[in-house]
Amino acid sequence: MGTIRMDRRLFLKAAGATAGVAATTQVACLSYFKKGRSAAAENREVPTTCELCPNKCSAIAVVEGGLVKKLNPNPENPKSRDMLCARGNAAIKQVYDPDRIKKPMIRMGARGEGKWKEVSWDEAFDFAAKKLAEVKDKYGPQASLWSSTEGFQEVFFKNLGLAFGSPNLVRHPTLCLASVNLAYSATFGTVPSFDLLNSKFVIMSGANRFESIITPDTMDLIGGVMERKAKLVYLDPRFTVTAAKADEWYPIKPGTDLAFILAMIHVIIQENRHSKDFVAAFTTGFDELAEHVKQYTPEWAEKETEIPAKDIIRIAREFADAAPRSLYYAGRRSSWYQNDFQMRRAQAILNAIIGNWDQVGGMVPNAKLPKGEFLFMPWDEPKAPRVDEIEKHFPLAAKGDGVYLKLRENVLSGKPYPIKAWMVYKQDPMNAMPDQAKTLKMIEGMDFIGVIDVQMSDMAWYADVVFPESAYLERTDPVEVMAGIWPAVVYRQQVVKPIHDTKPNLEIVQGLAKRLGLSDYFDYTIEQWVEAEFKELPIPMAMEHMKKHGVWAASGKPVYGKTLNPDFRFVTKTGKIELFSQRLQEAGYDPLPVYAAPVQPPGDRFRLILGRVGYFTHANQSNNVWLNEFMKENDLWINPKPAERLGIRNGALVEVASSVGKVKLKARVTEEIRPDCVFMLHGFGKKSKLQSLVYNVGASDAVILETAWDKVSGNAAFHETFVKVANA
Amino acid sequence: MAMKKKRYALVLDSRKCINCKACVVACKAENQVPVGNTRNWINEARQGEYPKLRIDFEPEQCHHCEHPSCARVCPTGATWMRKDGIVLVNYDDCIGCRYCMVACPYDARYFHEESGTVHKCTLCSHRVDKGDLPACVETCPSKVRVFGDLEDPTSRVHELLATRRYRVKEPQTGNGPQLYYLL
Repeated sequence: MGTIRMDRRLFLKAAGATAGVAATTQVACLSYFKKGRSAAAENREVPTTCELCPNKCSAIAVVEGGLVKKLNPNPENPKSRDMLCARGNAAIKQVYDPDRIKKPMIRMGARGEGKWKEVSWDEAFDFAAKKLAEVKDKYGPQASLWSSTEGFQEVFFKNLGLAFGSPNLVRHPTLCLASVNLAYSATFGTVPSFDLLNSKFVIMSGANRFESIITPDTMDLIGGVMERKAKLVYLDPRFTVTAAKADEWYPIKPGTDLAFILAMIHVIIQENRHSKDFVAAFTTGFDELAEHVKQYTPEWAEKETEIPAKDIIRIAREFADAAPRSLYYAGRRSSWYQNDFQMRRAQAILNAIIGNWDQVGGMVPNAKLPKGEFLFMPWDEPKAPRVDEIEKHFPLAAKGDGVYLKLRENVLSGKPYPIKAWMVYKQDPMNAMPDQAKTLKMIEGMDFIGVIDVQMSDMAWYADVVFPESAYLERTDPVEVMAGIWPAVVYRQQVVKPIHDTKPNLEIVQGLAKRLGLSDYFDYTIEQWVEAEFKELPIPMAMEHMKKHGVWAASGKPVYGKTLNPDFRFVTKTGKIELFSQRLQEAGYDPLPVYAAPVQPPGDRFRLILGRVGYFTHANQSNNVWLNEFMKENDLWINPKPAERLGIRNGALVEVASSVGKVKLKARVTEEIRPDCVFMLHGFGKKSKLQSLVYNVGASDAVILETAWDKVSGNAAFHETFVKVANA
Repeated sequence: MAMKKKRYALVLDSRKCINCKACVVACKAENQVPVGNTRNWINEARQGEYPKLRIDFEPEQCHHCEHPSCARVCPTGATWMRKDGIVLVNYDDCIGCRYCMVACPYDARYFHEESGTVHKCTLCSHRVDKGDLPACVETCPSKVRVFGDLEDPTSRVHELLATRRYRVKEPQTGNGPQLYYLL
């Protein structure tokens, strides 16, 4: 095999074949700072790590006259490589956004009325600490809820919640990718990465990788599809950019992906195309699986999915024949249906039986790097059980993350015990959770709400006190190890001093801790914390390196096949890859994925589906002036056939109503969606007037989404809402 | 030593464009382009009927033409071409008459309200002169644009144009555009 030509010439290097192993494409990182650049001069270039989405791309901030002028990609990062997306480039406007919260604020009018008083930090801390102490005295520490989304400084916020004595930390995964994480863990004992750089055949269910940008997957896949002759089969009710670039697009009937996957397994096993050696050596439960999928014929699946049986058979054959360089990609934001966990399990099983595990172009267990830990004073573990009763209802789910929607149900019912204070860090539950009316009800029931955020999110708008956090370009954060095929360490350091009266999260946490008598647990500076982390990094002169480069990549050469020796024990009950899962059976779930046809919308209704575009990921990005230019308001995608039937014209205002709410937005009559679905983009129709570009513009999906969750992981099921659409 | 002749150009593999807009925002930051204006953009062509559909994206900006009609109509000579082919506007000489905006076949120019002059893509000549890539080229996740010197036979742009089929937009204008779209 020869080398593979690629365009990503700055840092990608195609490596030739080594004896007996097919050629693998590898990453070699060029040094940005070899070119005689300096991080010290008046016009500085400071390496840091982007925070606009969870990808953690490395960027170089160009500072001129004290202002961040430009963010350049830092090619030393093996994940983000030499790219920075629209959001990353627009991070400058997060700092210089006129809507930013410039001082701590205490609410004066009713919640959500928008009457605020700017106060000093002392006043804000005193006020919040007093309220939190009141709740603690009256109801106990467990009556406080601590919500957060991942971020380098999230750890301090979580620790404050725990030190305060609350078991009720709830994080984003159950609004995002908890079902994938749990399904792959249940099968392989870990959540692997997908080696799209080397894969020859990729199937994606709705993982819209060319609009929902994930590094390096998005770049690897476009290179694969367009340059390296990889084949992409894509299932999605909507014609996305990924569909447009795919070799084959199937507008699958929503909620039936599991039937497609089961039929693929059926074909592969029936035609003996699975990897017999791998299955025998590393998996358990194959016979049960073979027996179980006998019922799931391609002809049956055609009726469920609307994908022709002959195509399912052909795809299954091509998929198995391309193994081990073929994969069924897992995706993120995998919270769609109530059977989500089982659908992801089926994907994991399909991947397992073709033997792509730990292979070039297949699924690869993540390599990790050690990092030092700052030793802080430990606190007593909170005694109360969690309010979401996770152990009882979701025994397999990640305890530390909680289960968001079940938690909200329990808070609203007051059972098993009341929650009266709600602290939120870097999250907007008003838009992140479905059924905004319920969230508002939850807000109503709170004696106290405190929000820490860079901007006035809808959640902050309903808070009693808002603590303005410094933007990422104004902060130094803990060091992050990014596990992956190419593990790396990234570091975020302060680029410019805060331009407003804001603080990094650690200092906000310390301000509260001091007044709550918890100072001893937070008796350190960010510098001390980071220094401890640097100490155990496998990097010579770690601190100097990280300050100069912002990132360190382990090696350009990923190692494959470490787990492929007969003595390797997978972190599962049997120590093998569990096709049949006894653990699931014991917990009362199907040990093999069982298909149940999803309820389809009645004739006068549509299924509401969600998605992303490349320039907005989170609800807060639509208010970034450089991104907002691309889409000033969201609209409702509807197929011309039903639109004609309903008399809806392109651009007309329509009312979209579900059982929990209704919104008005403009219709986009488009061929690019199935006739039984409608679609709207996330992040518009804001209630916060300090999201001035999107305040009351378009509509928020959270208003009409109904509450439903995946039974095993508790992941919110965002595609289970049926809506009526009519001219407004 | 005699300076070697240079001719900068962009070769674009539009098939790889995912319309993520990174190039547009990077340019905005690098060149302080006002909100509402843009020096580069992405054309979209959507066609077909469900479920037989197609979307094509095509990034575009100033074509840095060989015979730029914008320069020909400029009454003050403010629009000029560097020896390396980059077409620039000398803001000191620009009187804001906007003839060039009319003359450009690609609508690649805009009137900069604050300064009263006409602006457009400079191919980030200030970066290029330092040996860096234009901001749009550098930031692109899928590396749609390839920047280089057509006169350099070892350059990637040279190689691509020698080995791949390509087209230019509006060749009938005689402008000699230097944005090459691979087919």
